[in-house]
Amino acid sequence: MTSHLISLILFAPFIGAGLLMFISNRQRTLVRAVAVASTAISFVLSFYLLYAYNYQTGGLQFTEQYVWSKELGISFYLGVDGISVPLVLASSILVFCGVFVSWHIGDRLKEFYMFLLILASATMGVYVSLDLFFLYFFYEMSVIPMYLLLAIWGSHTKGYLEMTDTAKRDSIGFLFNFAKNSKEYAAMKLTLFLSAGAVVALLGILLIYTTSGLHTFSIPELAEHGHIPANLRTLIWLLIFFGFASIAPIWPLHSWSPVGHAAAPAAVSMLHAGVLMKLGHFSIIRVAYEILPETTRTWVVVAAILCVFSIVYGGLVAYFQRDTKYVIGYSSSSHMGYIFLGMAALNVISLTGAILYMFAHALATGMLFAMAGFIYDQTHTRDIPSLGGLSRKMPFIMGAFIIALAASVGLPATVNFIGELMIVIGSWPVYPVQTVIALLGIALTMGYLMRMFRGLFFGELSSSSAHAHDASPFVDRLPLVIMMACSLYFGFFPSQFIHVISSGVEPLVAKIQGVAEVVSLPPSGSPPGSPPGHPQENPQGIP
Amino acid sequence: MTFAVQMTPADLWALLPELLLSGLLCLILTLDIIKLQGNKRLLAHLSNLGLLVILAVIAQMAVSGVDRHLFGTMFVVDRLALFFKAFVIISTIMIIAISVDYTETLPAFRGEYYVLVLFSALGMLFMVSANDLLTMFITLEFSTFGFYILVAYQRRDPASSEAGLKLFILGAFTASLIAFGISLIYGETGTLLFDQIARRSHGLTPGLVIGFLLVLAGLGFKIGAAPFHSWIPDTYQGAPTPVTAFLSIAPKGAAFAVLLRFLLSTFGADKVHWIGLLVLLSMLSMTYGNLVAIAQGNIKRLLAYSGIAQIGNILIGLAAASKTGSDAILFYLLTYLFANLGAFAVIIAVSQQTSGDLIDDYKGLNRRSPMLAATMLIFLLSLAGVPPLAGFIGKLYLFVAAAQEKLFALVIVGLVNVVISLYYYMVVVKKIYVNEPVDSTPLSVPPLMKTVIMGSAAAVLILGIYPRPFLALVTAATQIFAGVNAASLP
Repeated sequence: MTSHLISLILFAPFIGAGLLMFISNRQRTLVRAVAVASTAISFVLSFYLLYAYNYQTGGLQFTEQYVWSKELGISFYLGVDGISVPLVLASSILVFCGVFVSWHIGDRLKEFYMFLLILASATMGVYVSLDLFFLYFFYEMSVIPMYLLLAIWGSHTKGYLEMTDTAKRDSIGFLFNFAKNSKEYAAMKLTLFLSAGAVVALLGILLIYTTSGLHTFSIPELAEHGHIPANLRTLIWLLIFFGFASIAPIWPLHSWSPVGHAAAPAAVSMLHAGVLMKLGHFSIIRVAYEILPETTRTWVVVAAILCVFSIVYGGLVAYFQRDTKYVIGYSSSSHMGYIFLGMAALNVISLTGAILYMFAHALATGMLFAMAGFIYDQTHTRDIPSLGGLSRKMPFIMGAFIIALAASVGLPATVNFIGELMIVIGSWPVYPVQTVIALLGIALTMGYLMRMFRGLFFGELSSSSAHAHDASPFVDRLPLVIMMACSLYFGFFPSQFIHVISSGVEPLVAKIQGVAEVVSLPPSGSPPGSPPGHPQENPQGIP
Repeated sequence: MTFAVQMTPADLWALLPELLLSGLLCLILTLDIIKLQGNKRLLAHLSNLGLLVILAVIAQMAVSGVDRHLFGTMFVVDRLALFFKAFVIISTIMIIAISVDYTETLPAFRGEYYVLVLFSALGMLFMVSANDLLTMFITLEFSTFGFYILVAYQRRDPASSEAGLKLFILGAFTASLIAFGISLIYGETGTLLFDQIARRSHGLTPGLVIGFLLVLAGLGFKIGAAPFHSWIPDTYQGAPTPVTAFLSIAPKGAAFAVLLRFLLSTFGADKVHWIGLLVLLSMLSMTYGNLVAIAQGNIKRLLAYSGIAQIGNILIGLAAASKTGSDAILFYLLTYLFANLGAFAVIIAVSQQTSGDLIDDYKGLNRRSPMLAATMLIFLLSLAGVPPLAGFIGKLYLFVAAAQEKLFALVIVGLVNVVISLYYYMVVVKKIYVNEPVDSTPLSVPPLMKTVIMGSAAAVLILGIYPRPFLALVTAATQIFAGVNAASLP
């Protein structure tokens, strides 16, 4: 049976973008209506997808396959497994909220929504592609709208605006800019970094394609029958890992990310930190883990080492930032380290936790960026020292901020808590040192977020926020309410989520570790709340 | 070697596109003289009508599967030739369409302009069918001849005259190189025919090697690959923009038809010896073109250098020297045709109202004409190779072909160049979308120009999203190279 559910989720925003092309910028209501309608379709259907996905059977579901080119062995092959379902959901929640967050954009609203919808579709396209070609196709496609969204609707840093020497302002250096960058600089840096990472991954993909001898880009087929020559496996794995990890972003390749987050308009920061960065983790799991399981077992330690630098470096830098978006940006790159830790430990609990955390982080960081964007719109500054006392002006935002803060730190009742807990429990037996550092990183997160919270909401009311007002009843509050509700709901009732994720994770871990080790996992290895006698997935193609 | 040439009526049918174009040429020339004070736009529309008929004839020939050798085997009409004939005709139609409003600004000789364009197109129609060294030489010169005049068409503009002179001197020099190379090859093998050179009994002699290298260098000049690119930037900048557009695409396609036959059919058995050379040419062209393009302030120069890099990209397929490689070349040329011609069409539309070709003149184009801005975005991103546009599939196809032949160094250089090229294309995109316009009067685009621009943009999108029929077309056209891989086995 062929279901078109995935195509609908994927193409609804695309069609929305196409329709927007024919609408004039003056019809703002119609522009907004089209954007809301097209993302709402994805939003509702992804919730349906989460509950319609049958975790008892697991595996790939809702698959659709159309031959695209026989000459090159490409097919348009869509489908989801337990790993991609939560990420599709996260993308559609964030883009739906993003449409409301950018409601008041004045300049070229239509173009903004067009690029935003293309970006969101491309992101979802990566999550549902089961063909290497289309995975790369959508991955690379997400970069260009990012450039335009940042460069047109982004904002300069305070340091850049304060530079009086115009010659210096125009010739801003590429490598060392110390938070004095323009939005165009940030956009270009992001585009070039991501494209450079993408072509490294593409080289790995081409190597897989030409050496497997199958003449196909289909991931399931390559994972099952591909015989990559043993001498090339390490090289390919490293190319794929570092190519995709650059968007994740892992420590030495992270520098574009906070700069990009900071320059982007709120909705784009949300999507960027929420789901775009997870494209990296997801693609590594999809390509490197599925196709090269043995090599993954040997080399995944690279992720375990580098994630420590991500966590500590990102956390420390975030602590000393004065710009709200830089704090959240560095905190995001620090939190990505947890996901790498969970991925590196290679057991069912930690990997399930990592994927749950991807979803949880998307909501938490989405809320934070939405509020940072709202405060910037009201006060026209992101500089924490020149803000303060906003608790009197915006009580609703303050309340929401507390919940976002709790989610970001991973306090119980939020879905982040469950993700973090599973990562920590799963990684402890494998990488105890890293786990301890990760726990310290949580304390650090608490530190810098509380510091920002105090700086924004307490103290003297600054002159810049004299005319600021609270979030308007519906349009401004709706996205925050949706994200809060999701975060809390799945924090209290995570079982559906965990079943779905572990139905995707279990066969993968079994394949990587070999059957023997899966059986020898302690009984506590099955995720909490999983029904007794939950069928172990039949591991495919393991020696 | 005897020239017992017999012509049958069927041979004449195979020559129909060339015959029709010759007729059209004479008709336009006569009409231009008769209608002294007449409406020159009519000539353009008439030319395009004629070209459309010729395109239909070519399509009919492709469908009926014509595969003939004429005049001995000097002239071949096969699917490859038909593909390139259609390529040349389509680009000529688009050039004439975008020239209509441009020629109004020319001081005089507006009628001859179309005659010269058709004249060059006729040369190229013959060129893509050339199957021996002499036909190749004559048709190459034949097609370049029209360009010598077209490039220098604005004779009161010193830049245009300089461009024409540069093209002429280097063109003549190239012709002498090729002629010398041909004489050496003839001296060593005793034949001019491609098939007979391929079947020669003895191996590579020094004379043959030098002759081969000279011909390759000459063809390198024609396609403008580094280090034979020196004429490209000044000629592209100085020539009237529609001529630049024509020069940047149609002769390149025709020259690749000749290169494919010359390298794969004629010297395919010796490919181990020349692959390294082509890898070097390709790497040099891509890297040089892309790096120098970064520093350009004039949009035509930018596209000239990006054109050198694009030629480097296409050479990847030639270096792969396989059936897949030639498929990739044909497909990439298709994507390049629409993206490059589209970009030049936008340049013409903008320069007619701002009378400037600086990249700074594109500041805030999005506010002045959203249509031109959006299509320029599509064309530039396709040239850069960003999905879902045509250039991405083209580049991927080339890289796949090279990777299959284990040319990984070339693939790596090519991938690095994708990132470099993205930078300067994005700089233009930034001016168009981010910067505020200096003068914000809206731009109006003439209807015919609009059709070409929108058509090209649609083609770029269709080639990128649904390339299946085009890939099938391309793979069918290169069937004659199916044996190249087998022939090279020791």
